[in-house]
Amino acid sequence: MKVEFKARRLDLLRMHLDVIREAFKQAVAPDRVTVEYPRERKKYPANFRGIIVFDKDKCISCFRCAHICPANAIQMTFYEKAWPGIDYTKCIFCHFCVDSCPTGALRSTKIHDIAFATMGEMKLNAVQMLKAPELTREDSFTVEYVVDSQGWRLEKKAEIDELALEQFIIPEKRRVSVCVDPESCLGCRLCVELCPNDAISVDRKANKLNILPEKCTGCGICVRNCPMKVLELKEVK
Amino acid sequence: MIEVLIDLIRYFLSILKSNQLDIPLIKPIIALIMKIVAQIPIPYLSNLVDFILAVILWRPLFAVVVMPGLTVLMIYLLYIVWFERKLTARIQWRVGPLEVYRPLRGAIQALADGIRYLFQEAIVHKDAHRPYFVQLPILAFIPVLLPIAFIPAGNVVGIKSPYAVQLTIAFISLIPITVIAIGWASNSRFAFIGSVREALMYVAYEIPFIVAAISMIFLYKSGDPYIIVENQWIPGAILNPLAFLVFLIAMLMATSRLPFEIPEADQEIAFGPFVEYSGILFGLVMVLAYEKLYVMALLFTILFLGGWNGIYISLLGDLNAPIWLTIKTIVVISIIAMVRSMYARYRIDQAIRIGFSWLLAFSMVALAIGVVIGYEGGI
Repeated sequence: MKVEFKARRLDLLRMHLDVIREAFKQAVAPDRVTVEYPRERKKYPANFRGIIVFDKDKCISCFRCAHICPANAIQMTFYEKAWPGIDYTKCIFCHFCVDSCPTGALRSTKIHDIAFATMGEMKLNAVQMLKAPELTREDSFTVEYVVDSQGWRLEKKAEIDELALEQFIIPEKRRVSVCVDPESCLGCRLCVELCPNDAISVDRKANKLNILPEKCTGCGICVRNCPMKVLELKEVK
Repeated sequence: MIEVLIDLIRYFLSILKSNQLDIPLIKPIIALIMKIVAQIPIPYLSNLVDFILAVILWRPLFAVVVMPGLTVLMIYLLYIVWFERKLTARIQWRVGPLEVYRPLRGAIQALADGIRYLFQEAIVHKDAHRPYFVQLPILAFIPVLLPIAFIPAGNVVGIKSPYAVQLTIAFISLIPITVIAIGWASNSRFAFIGSVREALMYVAYEIPFIVAAISMIFLYKSGDPYIIVENQWIPGAILNPLAFLVFLIAMLMATSRLPFEIPEADQEIAFGPFVEYSGILFGLVMVLAYEKLYVMALLFTILFLGGWNGIYISLLGDLNAPIWLTIKTIVVISIIAMVRSMYARYRIDQAIRIGFSWLLAFSMVALAIGVVIGYEGGI
């Protein structure tokens, strides 16, 4: 019993010494992992989801971004065509819109730190989304968290992370709308009225749909809205 | 009339001139100032400048007002608040104060805080005992700052006394009474709990602290700092390590630093006795513990670390002793500041058990060691 007690006392003393040693070590060279944000910038993975920019030339007004948005943050507004505008009060940065865009008109940037002065400014329209917001760079270091067998470490490099937009080229599969089952067509002409490119017309004499492949952009609005589901998107070579 | 006044000033000047600091380094500078002043055609200006310089370099005033007195105390306060926060932050993987003047890594944060305190409204709440509530933070400075007059630094001394160590201990023992009174005057439950805790801690550390100091007085056979420092060709810390340890721990307890931060206990009773203070009054009571630490560290340096003994630089002359004393004191305090980030707070019963069991026992053994070394003809 007495021996145990003594051992415990010695153990305590050893622990005190450990604490003092560790404190001195940390005071001289701390292992801290703080990022001094505006002056240092954390290096993010290449596909980290940032603010979204819009390319009006590629947009085919298919509304898929607005349909898929789980936060209902995208509203289509009519300019030359119907173009998406993102409400950043609602946006959850899931980037489903970017993923769903068939032509790559919406894409992500490497800008992850955005600030708005008012709530009203957070609702961007398509024209405001045409180019990425201007970034004031205050950082002169790039830091990166390194996790290995020795634990966490902060690696600091005296270089600026390149935030310029990369040009993604999405392999485009050109698809057009085709009526696969003309006998089931009701002739409701919903597709004709919905088509943003006036590619669909009805041949009254032959009693059938006339889809012009050169005008059709493959947006699929007619396919989604056809009550009889007789339209389909088909790939063309 | 003017003749009489000038005679009076001459008389004062002769008193001042008889006890001047001898610093070879600044002699050419003073000569240069006097030369420049002599060329300015304003009557009595050179006499006035001469008088002012004589006042500043008068040893007792220099000791109390400049070094190791109030000016150094002021600079030390600005330094230690920043240093303690910064050091704790480093050990705890934070950054600490940084944005108030970034090139110095936030070094003037304490100054900024002080200015803010100065302009903030000092609220005296309805239930407080108004006269005491306002007076006590200022009254508390009497026992804190008076020891500085008695602690010598070589030739530079405010009041020369053979009982300087005893006097300093007596003044330090008075400080908790003002803190308890502050808690009473605040008339709030947190302040009351804080006062009671302060009283408990006072009981716990005071006896070992005084016994440890007395053991050193026995060891050197005098309470006169001059004799104590003269005798320390071996530092007192080596002569009587137990007294050294007891004094160090009593110092932590007395200045309510972690692991004995029981009276102030931010997380439980929100700064204890000082919870009701705001504005400049809070600024005054907040630095109370730091000033107490400064005075105790001065005493600690004199008793255990050889006081103002150090490498003598002939260029500095009389300034050697104050500079060495200040450097040693600041180093001691800087090391003590580190304890804060290492330990958690003890419970009240644990702290009092420490005070009354082995701290008291160690101090008694230290007293025995002191008596033996002193009796043997000593050092």
